[in-house]
Amino acid sequence: MQSFALYPFDPPGDVAALRADLRGWLAVNQPVDDIVARANCWASFDPDFSRALGAAGYVGMTLPAIYGGGDRHPLERYVVIEELLAAGAPVGAHWIADRQTGPLILRYGSDEQRERYLPGIAKGELYACIGLSEPGAGSDLAAVRTSARETAEGWRINGQKIWTTGAHFSHIMLALVRTEEGSERNAGLSQLLIDLDTPGITIRPIIDMAGNHDFNEVFFDDVLVPHGALVGTRGQGWKQVTAELGLERSGPERYLSSHALLVALIDAAGADPEPAIAGVIGKLTAEMWTLRQLSMSTAAKLAAGEDPMVEASVVKELGNAFEQDMPRRVQAIVDCAWDDKADLARLLRALLIASPSFSLRGGTREVIRGIIARGLGLR
Amino acid sequence: MSAAREMLCDTARAVLAGASDIAPVEEAGFALLLVAEEGGGFGGDWGDAHAVLHIAGMSAPNIPVAAVILSGLGDVSMPHRAAATVSLMAGAMGQALALSIDHVNTRQQFGRPLGKFQAVQQSLAVMACEVAAVDAAAAAMAARLDASGFDADAAVFEIAAAKLRANRAVGVVTSIAHQVHGAIGFTEEYDLHRVTIPLMRWRGEHGNDAHWAQALGRQVAVLGGRGLWESLTARAG
Repeated sequence: MQSFALYPFDPPGDVAALRADLRGWLAVNQPVDDIVARANCWASFDPDFSRALGAAGYVGMTLPAIYGGGDRHPLERYVVIEELLAAGAPVGAHWIADRQTGPLILRYGSDEQRERYLPGIAKGELYACIGLSEPGAGSDLAAVRTSARETAEGWRINGQKIWTTGAHFSHIMLALVRTEEGSERNAGLSQLLIDLDTPGITIRPIIDMAGNHDFNEVFFDDVLVPHGALVGTRGQGWKQVTAELGLERSGPERYLSSHALLVALIDAAGADPEPAIAGVIGKLTAEMWTLRQLSMSTAAKLAAGEDPMVEASVVKELGNAFEQDMPRRVQAIVDCAWDDKADLARLLRALLIASPSFSLRGGTREVIRGIIARGLGLR
Repeated sequence: MSAAREMLCDTARAVLAGASDIAPVEEAGFALLLVAEEGGGFGGDWGDAHAVLHIAGMSAPNIPVAAVILSGLGDVSMPHRAAATVSLMAGAMGQALALSIDHVNTRQQFGRPLGKFQAVQQSLAVMACEVAAVDAAAAAMAARLDASGFDADAAVFEIAAAKLRANRAVGVVTSIAHQVHGAIGFTEEYDLHRVTIPLMRWRGEHGNDAHWAQALGRQVAVLGGRGLWESLTARAG
C-alpha cells in the first residue's frame, strides 16, 4: 500500500444527467426540515422520504431488476449517495439496508432470502440493522458469544447485542452469532437474518449524549428462527462480515457528516469574507476535495471487484478526523454563544456533541489504524 | 499506467538514481517532456510530468528537475510551479514512509522490531494516511491540468487544494518519520534528511499555507455553500 494509485472513477452513462435529475427530484421532494437534521443526515430517520426515494429508483440501485432493483453500476449509486449526503437528505431509515444488507443478501443469500427481502429493501420500505457488537465484544469482535444452536425446528438463539443502530425501527437484523458450540475467536461464527418481530426478542433504547435514540440493546431469549435464516456458509460468518465492512468504511458518509456546517459557514461568511475565515474555508475545502478523491478512488477499486481493505480504512481514518475536526475549527473562528438560536450556532453545537461518535462507529480509530499498519507490513 | 509512461518512468529512475547534478536530466531530454510532438518534443501530458516528478521527489529531491520539465511549457506561472512541487512532495513523502517502514521492521529494541509496538504502528498508520492523501491530491490535480490543457488558471482550484493538502502533510510526515527513526535519522550519513529537508523547504515555496488558503477560500466564498458542491462535481477529476 506504499503508493495510493488513484483508481479512475468512471461510472457508465450520463453522470451529469443523473446528478441533474436527482437534484431536480430533491428540490421537490426533500422535506423542508430543520438545518440541524441536515448534518449527520445518514442518521436521520424519515420513512416517508425513504419510500419516496425508493419509488423514484434511488434505493437498491445496484440490485438486479428481478428483485425490484435498478440494475445500475455501483459508481452510479455512489454518485447518488454523495448527492443525497451533500444535500443533507434524511436517508437514515434505509441507509444500512441499502448500503450493506441488500448487497450482502444478494452475494451470500439464498434465492428464498433474496425474493423475500430484496424487493422491500429496493422500495425503501424494509429496514435493517447490524448485530455485531456485544457487551463483551466491541473492538474485539471475535469475542462474540451470542449463540445459535441448530435444532429440528430451526436455529435457537440466546444472547445479547448492543449499540445496535436503528434496531427499534428495523424489520430485520443481520447478526453475527456463534453456531458451533465450543468454538473460539473468529472460527465457528455464522450470519443469521433475523426477523425482529420474532417472539423472544426484546429491544431497549440507549439514549446517546445528544439526547437521541439511535442505538439499542437487543436481547435474544430462546428465539427460534427457521433453518433458512442462515446467510451464506455456516462457519464463514467472520469472512462474510469482514467483506461487509469494506462496503461500510469507504463511502462518502465518512467525510460528509459535517458537510452542512461547511455550507453554513461559507454562506454565513458571504462573498467577501475576512481573511481568517477565508483561510479556514480554504483549508477545509482542500481537505474535503482530497477526501472526495480518495473515497471515489476506493469506490472505483471496490466496483472493479478488488478488495481495498486498507484504502477503505485510510478513507475512514482521514474522513473521520476531518469531519470531527471541522466543528472545532469553525468554533475557533466563529463568535457565537453556546445557546445561540441562529442556524450556524445550532448546527455547530449539534456537530460538536455528535462528533465523538464519528471515530467510534464502523470501527474505532485505533482498530482502523491497526488495519492500516498491517497493510504496511508492520503486524 | 500506459506502456509509454512505464518506459518514461524507467528512464527517469535510471537517470535520477545517484545523479548529483542536473546535467544528466538535461541530457536525457526532460526539457522536451511537455513540448508537443509537432514542436519537436516528447508530447507528454501532465500525468507524465507528475510521474517523473514523483520519482524525482523520491530519489533526487535536491536537483531542480521541476524547472527543467517546466521549461518546456514556455509560459510558466507560479501555479504551474506549485503544481510541480506537489508532485515532488508526494514522491518525497512516499520515500520518507518507505524509509520509516524499513527502519521499524529492522531496528530491534526491547527484544523485537520497533514495528511490533502498537505505538509505532499507530504513528506510521497516521503517516501513511497523509502520504495517501497527498498522492491522491497530486494525481487528481494532474488529471485536472490535463483536462484543462495545462491551463493553470482553469486548474487553480485543484492546484490550490493539492498544494494546501501537501503543505499540511509536511508537518505530520516529517515529524513521524524522524520520531520513529530516532537518532540515526538525525545524522548526515543517513538518507532521511535527503527527503525531509526538501519537504520543509517546499512547504514554503510557490505558495505557503496562508497564500493558498486565502486564494482557495476566496474562490469558494464566491461560489457559496451549495455552489462549492456544484462546482466540485462539475469539474473533471
